[in-house]
Amino acid sequence: MTVIRNIFRRKLRALLTISGITIGVFALIVMGAMAEKITLLVDGGLKWTGDKVTVSAGSASLGGFSTEPLALSKIKTIEKVPGVARASANVTMLLSKKQSAVNMGMPPMVTGGDGRDEGYESFELRYSDGRELRTGERGAVTVGADLVKKLGAKVGEDVTIRGKRFRVVGIMEKTLTGPDSSVYMSLHDAQNLLHADMPEVVRSNVDRHSWATGITVYVKEGYDPEKVAASINKQVKGVAATGPKAFKEQVGDSTRIFTSIIFGIALISLLVGGLSVANTMTMSVSERTREIGIRKAIGASHFPVIRQFLSESAAIALIGGLFGLALGALFTFAANSGNAGTPLFLLTGRLVAGSIGFALGLGVLSGLYPAWHAASLNPVVALRYE
Amino acid sequence: MNTIIEGKNLVKEYRLGKDNYVHALRGASVEIAKGEMVAIMGPSGSGKSTLMHILGCLDEPDGGEVCLNDRRVDGVSGRELTKIRSRELGFVFQGFNLVSTLTALENVALAAEYAGTPRKLALRCAERALRRVGLADRMRHMPSELSGGQQQRVAIARALVNSPAVILGDEPTGDLDTATSDEIMVMMREINETTGTTFVLVTHNPEVGEACDRVINMRDGVVATTGDEVSVTMQPFVEPGWSAEPSMAVPT
Repeated sequence: MTVIRNIFRRKLRALLTISGITIGVFALIVMGAMAEKITLLVDGGLKWTGDKVTVSAGSASLGGFSTEPLALSKIKTIEKVPGVARASANVTMLLSKKQSAVNMGMPPMVTGGDGRDEGYESFELRYSDGRELRTGERGAVTVGADLVKKLGAKVGEDVTIRGKRFRVVGIMEKTLTGPDSSVYMSLHDAQNLLHADMPEVVRSNVDRHSWATGITVYVKEGYDPEKVAASINKQVKGVAATGPKAFKEQVGDSTRIFTSIIFGIALISLLVGGLSVANTMTMSVSERTREIGIRKAIGASHFPVIRQFLSESAAIALIGGLFGLALGALFTFAANSGNAGTPLFLLTGRLVAGSIGFALGLGVLSGLYPAWHAASLNPVVALRYE
Repeated sequence: MNTIIEGKNLVKEYRLGKDNYVHALRGASVEIAKGEMVAIMGPSGSGKSTLMHILGCLDEPDGGEVCLNDRRVDGVSGRELTKIRSRELGFVFQGFNLVSTLTALENVALAAEYAGTPRKLALRCAERALRRVGLADRMRHMPSELSGGQQQRVAIARALVNSPAVILGDEPTGDLDTATSDEIMVMMREINETTGTTFVLVTHNPEVGEACDRVINMRDGVVATTGDEVSVTMQPFVEPGWSAEPSMAVPT
């Protein structure tokens, strides 16, 4: 209580200093929440890609998503490559025909699978409502957690996907990666959707049910997915196989740099706030020189004086930090609610603890010199201070 | 004489700049008996405050000896001096020097806490000390809610809380009107007589000097007279070539 009274001796100055920390922590929370979301998406992506090899037509594409057609007949050839346990075809396309300009992580997708991955896929999908798709089930979809609101999906009701109506049979639990922004349907239905979008000239020459956009290859135990991908590239013509390493390297590294920059900017703003705490505490010590003299005269040793000023600077930082956290949480909540697609921010426990901890540490550090200076004052000189 | 504080040949210099020194004490010697109420008087620059600071373990002499309760205290560590101040000495300053963000009770308890008393017990001791100075109904008031006389009584309670052997006052009635000043002096005298606490008061006020058992008159850094001759202090002493009002930064 005394600490608070001391801080608010100069109300305006205290509020301005607290605002500095508030803005710093707010920036750290908001930017950190963005970085956390990206990191989680990438980590989820790494788990999602797992030890799988993705095969697309022609040149390799990042993450294995391609809309170039790939003949289903390749599955048999690929399964003959040593180390391949199973190959499963899929058709993947954007949920919306119009591409959104800005997307965090993966854009909403439609994926049709042939069901051949059953028993091989290690990434487990759970359903918050309804059930999973049965192999080959037509006219039915399961919807990712982040798309429920966007599509207005309810189990047992219809949704419109690229102009066609489908019955929703299941809503997936949040996975924090690809499936959250995906609609799953049978390969047959997805092939029909893709075919409908092809130009008239191409459409008449293509057998819609003999093509896919990608093949996921499950590797036998003991085989290196990178080597299996290399073997597929060597032995199967007209396909490009990529192992999980490519995703890790290309996405993982750039994400780390990106999140470092984001955190860096936020930390700088918090450091500026820390300097304002140091400034305030220095001024406070200077204004209270006589009081310090009195305290020392009546028997205060170094420690109580240091503790007094350190607890004041820590309290300034803590109050600012809590306000910053509250504002940041409100902002991320509002931004996530306002965005129908994938949430942009993820407020994690470690981010909250880290931000408050950092602000508190900075407050203590900023108060160190003023507190030490106060404790070292000569009582006679301090008592004479006007 | 049963001496409680003794200063022998005390020397103190303050450096103002290169080759510019102020000789605040030039071999002052003083002896104060247990239970005595003594005034230190003298013109500005005579060294009375410096003498009080040294006798009160707030400052160290450059030369000479200081004994408190038969123990040499000159040359002991700063930490040890802090301990002595908190347990054996009490201070009352001019200008009702209370911590403005603490209540009267907290201000008094602060001194007890610094002396190592646990907070709860310190608050109880503070309460007792405030009752002793007649402020039982003002304990929860902030300094800004108290009159000058009440604030100085809080300061006296703070000086009393650890039951020190000696209370030192630097112009304790300096900022008070005559009536309040008399009231404070009566209170200090009453404490002196009932508890046997020694009082050493630096003052310009001849009435304070008259209310004390003895007056130590300082002049030019030495003790000029010691007895009850208050009038000596009323004649400013100016050494040839030396300013009567030295720099504000220098304790005198």
